[in-house]
Amino acid sequence: MLQILGMIGANMLSLPGILGLAFGMMTRKWGFAALGGALIGLLEALLFAKFDFSQIDAIEMVISILIGIIACLVGCAIRRKGVLI
Amino acid sequence: MANSSDKQNRLQRLWTWFWSPAAVLSVGFTLIAGFLAGILFWGGFHWSLEMTNTEEFCVSCHTMETNLGEYRETVHYNNHSGVRAICSDCHVPKEWQHKVQAKIVAVKDVYHEAIGSISTPEKYEERRLKMAAAVWKKMKASDSRECRNCHEFEYMDFTIQERRAAAEHQRAIDTGMTCIDCHQGIAHSLPTGYQEEYQKISEALGVPKLGEEMTFSEAKSDEIRTYLDQ
Ligand code: HEC
Ligand code: HEC
Ligand code: HEC
Ligand code: HEC
Repeated sequence: MLQILGMIGANMLSLPGILGLAFGMMTRKWGFAALGGALIGLLEALLFAKFDFSQIDAIEMVISILIGIIACLVGCAIRRKGVLI
Repeated sequence: MANSSDKQNRLQRLWTWFWSPAAVLSVGFTLIAGFLAGILFWGGFHWSLEMTNTEEFCVSCHTMETNLGEYRETVHYNNHSGVRAICSDCHVPKEWQHKVQAKIVAVKDVYHEAIGSISTPEKYEERRLKMAAAVWKKMKASDSRECRNCHEFEYMDFTIQERRAAAEHQRAIDTGMTCIDCHQGIAHSLPTGYQEEYQKISEALGVPKLGEEMTFSEAKSDEIRTYLDQ
């Protein structure tokens, strides 16, 4: 349980969370944001496994993708709320 | 009641203000200010995280003093080359994401400190095998990542190592073993029954990715053998 919480925190403070937020802030389209977030999460998992697919930990990948999507959606919400155009 | 709705109003106004276009600030000003605030925040965050990696911090909980004392008798504290490995070098990963994860998981240390799980020497020794096993599992799963921040088979000169060490390290490369498989108790006293416990962990986790490791290391050991034959 704590391990999972740790993973979530770590993902929020690294690539998926931060790049995801930044990416989300670049678009007003929810779907596009979610897709970008998923890709960023996947990229993170790949990067961490040094591009060796057999090394990817399933739970880690699911969490990084989820956090990526959520961060991008939050970014998208910020864009919609905070930018007039 | 009136007070709380007043407060709500103020919060609401703050919220609206926060999201309204800044008429008096230029885009440049907002960006530069945000950038600076970002640097300050991130620097501060990183600095505080580093503070929790010092020996003083770990030992600020007196329950960690047993381990400090034992470790002070070992080469990682005092040695001829004057390079020291401190607690965090062996117990906290260097990579950002692993480090953040380790720090969050360490919240359980605070919890156990509060309920006094290891508050007396007797309780400590009783729990030691369990704690050591937790460390072994971590190290085995990460292929002793923290050891390999300083040591690496590839940097070892087997010709100047003790013969037994060199032979064992060659065997380790050939069979994909990791540092902690042989070097338990490198910094602390080992509890009784550690061998059985380690055996159990070993069987449960197995040697990670043995198949691939073998081909890789076979190539490596061939290389070393041809080198030695020359
Ligand atoms: C809040 C007080 C406190 C601090 C500070 C603290 N520890 Fe601990 N530590 C504990 C307690 C209590 C336990 C026992 C927890 C358990 O049994 O699960 C523990 C367990 C451990 C374990 C056993 C393995 C594990 O993961 O359960 C290790 C290793 C460890 N600490 C290392 C460190 C290091 C390294 C530091 C400094 C970065 C540190 N501790 C700082 C209180 C502390
Ligand atoms: C901060 C770097 C660092 C880390 C991390 C580290 N070591 Fe060391 N290690 C050293 C140094 C420095 C020496 C002493 C070299 C010398 O003899 O001057 C040493 C010595 C040793 C020795 C020789 C012991 C002896 O009696 O001569 C062993 C075995 C060893 N380390 C294993 C490990 C293992 C296993 C880990 C992981 C749990 C580890 N080290 C982590 C730096 C490190
Ligand atoms: C198959 C068992 C085995 C494995 C795996 C293993 N070692 Fe050793 N190692 C030994 C033995 C045996 C010695 C010699 C006895 C001693 O000094 O404790 C030794 C000695 C050493 C020494 C001291 C060498 C010297 O000449 O002073 C260092 C440093 C060391 N090991 C580091 C490591 C590191 C780092 C790893 C993981 C990358 C590792 N070992 C993996 C068995 C092993
Ligand atoms: C050279 C690497 C190294 C250093 C430095 C080191 N440890 Fe450890 N520690 C280990 C290993 C390996 C284990 C796993 C148990 C074993 O093999 O002895 C461990 C286990 C522990 C445990 C679990 C209980 C036990 O005794 O097995 C605690 C608590 C702990 N360390 C705390 C500390 C603290 C506090 C410091 C700093 C004063 C420290 N360690 C420094 C390698 C290290």
